[in-house]
Amino acid sequence: MGLHASPLRKARGSTPAKAGIGLRFRHHQEVLESHPAAAWFEVHTENYMGGGSAPAYLDEIRRDYPVSLHGTGLSLGSAEGLDTAHLERVRRTVERFDPGLLSEHLSWSVAGGIYLADLLPLPMTEEALEIVCRHVDQVQSHLKRRLLIENPSTYLQFRHSTIPEWEFLAATVKRTGCGILCDVNNIYVSACNHGWDASAYLAALRPEAVGEIHVAGHAERRLDGGRVLRIDDHGSRVAPEVWTLFAEALARFGPVPTLIEWDTDVPPLEVLVDEAARAEVMLEEAQRERAFAFAA
Amino acid sequence: MRTSLVTHDDGGVSAHLVDGAINATERLDIYRNTFAGALTTALRLSYPAVYRLVGTEFFKGATGFFIESFQPKSACLDDYGEEFPAFLSDFEPAASLAYLSDIARLEWAVNRALHAPDMEPLDTQRLVALAEVERAHVRFAPHPSLSLVRADHPADLIWRAVLEKDDAALSAIYPSADPVWLLAERLPTGVEVRRMSESAWRFTSALCDGKALAAALDEAPDLDAPALLAEHLAVGRFIDFSSNDTTENFP
Repeated sequence: MGLHASPLRKARGSTPAKAGIGLRFRHHQEVLESHPAAAWFEVHTENYMGGGSAPAYLDEIRRDYPVSLHGTGLSLGSAEGLDTAHLERVRRTVERFDPGLLSEHLSWSVAGGIYLADLLPLPMTEEALEIVCRHVDQVQSHLKRRLLIENPSTYLQFRHSTIPEWEFLAATVKRTGCGILCDVNNIYVSACNHGWDASAYLAALRPEAVGEIHVAGHAERRLDGGRVLRIDDHGSRVAPEVWTLFAEALARFGPVPTLIEWDTDVPPLEVLVDEAARAEVMLEEAQRERAFAFAA
Repeated sequence: MRTSLVTHDDGGVSAHLVDGAINATERLDIYRNTFAGALTTALRLSYPAVYRLVGTEFFKGATGFFIESFQPKSACLDDYGEEFPAFLSDFEPAASLAYLSDIARLEWAVNRALHAPDMEPLDTQRLVALAEVERAHVRFAPHPSLSLVRADHPADLIWRAVLEKDDAALSAIYPSADPVWLLAERLPTGVEVRRMSESAWRFTSALCDGKALAAALDEAPDLDAPALLAEHLAVGRFIDFSSNDTTENFP
């Protein structure tokens, strides 16, 4: 894909099974001027809830590209219940931008009315599952939309967890009818940090539930004694091991809208377009394989 | 875990975590860093001139203390940090920079102007239709992007010079000069900060505080108030009004 190719379609409201890019403020003007070769863009819902230039840019960009909304603030796992004021802000943002896809995280971030500005891990228990499912139901019913739930990167596990994360996610889908945003980088990071089998994680997810894939870069934090923790910082190119896992995900799920995420040290737009082009080659291969499978 | 993130006390949570080669503190450090990093970044984006004036290390130290006392109430981090100017005015290590909290208050007004919701200006036809007797009782609802800042120091000059990295302009400013009266707002062309006379500022401030027009006029007897009010309306600084004699809530 060339950097200045025309947008693929004006598919407002739907997101193609092609490679999209996480849209950041510094690229707003350039996207409008250069029409980069990305099939769609995704933004963080919370960054477009106010007025002023950011939502005005997004209004312009969504004339040419499908846009998806990716939330970080609903805190679906909070025991104290959802912040209904925030849910209403999400509803107004969804109404304004009519996103093709809408997603949130399997995590919590609010306690005692305080927003802790991170996607915090849940104890994987039946009680937490009930809370998450209740909140997913509440969100889907308030927004009248299907929500995709993203698996988080985690750095710790609770002793009293009884359900593997992939089963927790699959059970949430089964009970609420939500979809999955399968973050392949997060699976890789968590699998490394906890000694999980990343392939087994993918195998536990039903293909028809996976509505979107994320790939991103991560960092390695080296602790003394040669110990390593992988940190999901979205600050670099996708790691080779994650591309390999992405190929495995496509083989299992078929072609799915796939996003290049990059949030820290955001590079020039052409770097993101280059990463998207790499994902696109793999998505087209998955399209061909699906066509062959059908024809056979 | 909240206690662990905010006050760095892992006592309660670490007993519940799976240990191993990497201990609970090391694992919780990852979340602590993200929490502090996200809030420090949010404050740096809202207070860029304060950040440049004091430098990275001082800013990190000051925001570290601030974050321990003030955490976000919502997931919209653009709304986080309103208390930072008042915190800075009481922050002992910043005492030698008397104008710092003035700059911070101006930056909060600018931040508000940047992110306030888009609202339609009020339809002046509705005002024109009012009977003469009702006009004195008109109370306006200001546009949410509008803020009025009174500063003891020339905060606007310092703010501009710092953000434009204009050292010559900065060295020509006398921080101890007379107070300034400022209006910050978002216009179609972007965010504007302008100076007003003290009487224009008091009149505008009274209107924005919901005082009736007659009472606001009393605040500034020496002002060409009709001209200023016409400018406010033309620019769209008010989004609604009520015209009865009580303090009615605006929609």
